[in-house]
Amino acid sequence: MAGKAITYTAAQIAKLGKDNIPAELLSGHGLVYSSPATLAYNSPGAEGFGVKRAGLAVPESVMLIVSPGCCGRNTSIVSSMPQYKDRFFYLLMDETDLVTGRHLKRIPEAVCEVVSFLDGQKGKKPKVVMICITCVDALLGTDMERVCTACENALGNGTRVRPCYMYALTREGRRPPMVHVRQTLYSLLEPMDKDPKSVNIIGNFAPLEDGELQRYLTEAGVKHIRQVSTCGTYEEFLNMASANFNIVTNPEARASAHDMSQRLGIPYIELTRIHDVERTAAQYKAFANAVGIEIDLSEDEARAKEAVGSLKESFPDLSFNIGECLNADPFELALSLVRYGFKVDEIYGTLAPEKFRYVSRLAELSPDTKIFCNMEPTMLYYDMSASRAHISLGKDAAFYCPNIPNVAWNSDIQPFGFQGITKLMETIKQTMKEARA
Amino acid sequence: MKGLRKVLTPFAPDQSGAVSVLYGLGGLIVIIDAGGCTGNICGFDEPRWQDVRSAVFSAGLRDMDAILGRDKLLVSKIADACKRIDASFVALIGTPVPATIATDYKALKRMLENEISLPILTVPTDGMKLYDEGEALAYKALADEFVSKDGGLEKIVLGKTPLTYGSDFEDNALDDYRRIGASTKTVAASASGIEAAKKLGVSYEVYSSAAAKIAGSIPSGKVLVCHDEVFGKTLRDKGIDCDIATFFTLHDEIRKACDRKITEEDEFTDLVMNGGYDIVVADESLKPLAEGFGGMWIDAPFFALSGRR
Repeated sequence: MAGKAITYTAAQIAKLGKDNIPAELLSGHGLVYSSPATLAYNSPGAEGFGVKRAGLAVPESVMLIVSPGCCGRNTSIVSSMPQYKDRFFYLLMDETDLVTGRHLKRIPEAVCEVVSFLDGQKGKKPKVVMICITCVDALLGTDMERVCTACENALGNGTRVRPCYMYALTREGRRPPMVHVRQTLYSLLEPMDKDPKSVNIIGNFAPLEDGELQRYLTEAGVKHIRQVSTCGTYEEFLNMASANFNIVTNPEARASAHDMSQRLGIPYIELTRIHDVERTAAQYKAFANAVGIEIDLSEDEARAKEAVGSLKESFPDLSFNIGECLNADPFELALSLVRYGFKVDEIYGTLAPEKFRYVSRLAELSPDTKIFCNMEPTMLYYDMSASRAHISLGKDAAFYCPNIPNVAWNSDIQPFGFQGITKLMETIKQTMKEARA
Repeated sequence: MKGLRKVLTPFAPDQSGAVSVLYGLGGLIVIIDAGGCTGNICGFDEPRWQDVRSAVFSAGLRDMDAILGRDKLLVSKIADACKRIDASFVALIGTPVPATIATDYKALKRMLENEISLPILTVPTDGMKLYDEGEALAYKALADEFVSKDGGLEKIVLGKTPLTYGSDFEDNALDDYRRIGASTKTVAASASGIEAAKKLGVSYEVYSSAAAKIAGSIPSGKVLVCHDEVFGKTLRDKGIDCDIATFFTLHDEIRKACDRKITEEDEFTDLVMNGGYDIVVADESLKPLAEGFGGMWIDAPFFALSGRR
């Protein structure tokens, strides 16, 4: 067995059933390989959003990372980006801290010194200090709410202090780090009067690409469409509490939306990023019915269909390998492409029971599609020589398939809806044309 | 304030140092963490990861594994991987998680030896010490497991890892360590190299080729070198009249009265601003700590310190 990456076909997985997905394809079962996708999750660096970048999505915030030195080490990549200059600070723990927990008493002093440093030398007093703690404090059972209250009392100037939990230990838990950090961000919002013409889009830490969703809302009379990443100031961010409703575009924001509905009285509706034109249209129609607005999809839908048709006409037998470092669910995207009549040779993703429905349908249409798990140790031996794909999608797929064209499709700005489908199809077509020129 | 970093990012930790020594030796390296520590190593501290794959894996610990101390599960995961990954040994690298739950490495080693017919190395790093200490622990683990007096090895360089010298690193093979006891010449290229040579009980030369290369470009004047101690010592040996300051280990055999082991940002600032130096030889990431320094700054890249490639 040594020397070969473990894989299963869609048909094999479908036959085994949702409750018997092979352990090698699931997260949290064996040793973990540092594939590009694993690193993008565990060590996001300058690309993508991990807890550190996400915690600083709130305007005018800074972060104090309280941890052993190893946890903050790779932050130097992010710190070198202009928008993060003077926003990361560190309180390094030593072995005595670990044994005695004495570092907790030092946090208020450190927060005061950071705020004083920024106010005095840099002339920019932060509105929020995020305190990022890691696995050590997870195991010590640290009560960070209490520590943050002590920090706010020590500052005594209204600066908010909130905890961010960078607990890799809880990746498969009920509240994994990327769910929790979203809850932290929106917990800063305070109840305020509702503005019926305000809507929030919550889901990611970079904005949704300006597209048809915003246009539909504007045409329906919405005046303010807010996203955390487009708020220029902390005050503007606080106005998100006035929203009439929230649109959730990423399941990791569902818990935050639920919190906001309970605490601020803001209801929410969830929209999924899908790559099937007809299903996208059906979702928008259901959305319009639910919120009581009328929207005209015809032009956007036609444009997306045309883009799919044009790609199909230019490259009718196109075959894909799809990774998971991209702005799409690789299993959903694979299914949509197969439905359009393309082929999907390989998927590099981490399967979860909730994604089984895609694999189950894929097994009917493309039973031989191979599925690899990015976390599986044998991916060390992955060899693409057996693949017949013409193009790969996703940044990690480029790593596995260096000899075929690639569309990374992993920008911070999030594609969505018909516009997302249209742009993806056009980008694939352009990339293939250039590769074959 | 002690331990507070307002300008610098944390330096390379001991677990990165340990992997730096073991990387490329053909072992199955298991970092006992949840994923983040391995991510820091493979995604940042180990430049070879981009070019030459090595079997470096995270143990993928989850909260209940740590809370309940599921060592049997860890052993089972490693044994399972050994069936599918070719390796000449298994190395267990510690992180803050096993440090917090007081993992018994000796017990883990014994449990693994009952399951796997490969040498088992344990490196009790904890993510709170610095990379040179982790490198020294890895050398110790190699020495304990592999070193013999048999066979001749003409020369070996210890401690010349990417963390100290960036792309100018020098790899050794596992067989080199097996024959190191009979080496005719051992060069300690950094603090961890000195520790390794001491552990092995071999005579050694303290020398940094990177430092030797820049020695000729340093003008006369009062010089402060802030880098690895061997880097500073080599400059001194080349005739540069310099004081050595280091955030890392400073051995008594290198240290002179004017040399300093520093820990905090403020100490470096005080040293540069009030030490009367004409020239500073150091990674330029330290420059913001010495705003207003009027002398010459000669950049000496130090990956473990700045993360600059």
